[in-house]
Amino acid sequence: MKLKLILISPIILISSNGFIDWLQNHLLTCPFKKFSGLDCPGCGLQRSILALMQGDLVSSFKLYPPTLLIIVLLMFTLLHLKFDFRMGAFFIKVLYISITFVIVINYIYKIVNHQLI
Amino acid sequence: MSEEQLDPQETPRSSPPPFQESKFTPQNGGYNGLQQSLPNATVVLVLGILSIVTCCCYGIIGLILGIIALVLSKKDRILYATNVGAYTESSFKNLNAGRVCAIIGLILNILYLLLTIAFVILFGWAAMSDPDALREALQNLQ
Repeated sequence: MKLKLILISPIILISSNGFIDWLQNHLLTCPFKKFSGLDCPGCGLQRSILALMQGDLVSSFKLYPPTLLIIVLLMFTLLHLKFDFRMGAFFIKVLYISITFVIVINYIYKIVNHQLI
Repeated sequence: MSEEQLDPQETPRSSPPPFQESKFTPQNGGYNGLQQSLPNATVVLVLGILSIVTCCCYGIIGLILGIIALVLSKKDRILYATNVGAYTESSFKNLNAGRVCAIIGLILNILYLLLTIAFVILFGWAAMSDPDALREALQNLQ
């Protein structure tokens, strides 16, 4: 019963428009961006998660490419800690390394194309 | 006197044998089904993963998480090395995965910190806190 409630509650929250509006007005500000006006390697994560909650996959990918991978990694880690898959640790390592590559490549791409400001 | 001295010597001898058995038969799992998971394995895994997720917004948090994860994992690796059979292999794999994640997260966080410091040195704090001045400085570079 508890598990069902935990599973259902985020769906109810997402499906209500008021919650997304509230989130859009209450994003955490990045101190690096606040001081310098430049994007940090993680800027765009919250916006892209919001876009994902509204079901907009393409704009979520454009805002911050590794979002989907990060969510998959977190879900998989929770499942692995619960059920203890045989190759779980290996997959977590591979996912983690690929996420770092995507983040670094994304940041270099931003620098080269002057999209930082 | 001699009998009294012998008795306390015998009692510690009787307790260590399971410990020694586990050392000599690591293939059998040592403790015969009484294996525990390492105490900090899941904590290290979770901290290692969080170190990169939080590297995004506030670089220092990820740095601290990564260092904590590395210290905890070092402790557990020593624990695992002292008696191999006493702990489950899956938890050791988790621990190693968490350690790799923590190391990568640490490297990324340190790079991010260095980048910030390099920016401050290059353009100065005044330009950093003023977007328009920074834009001019960037255009002067090209």
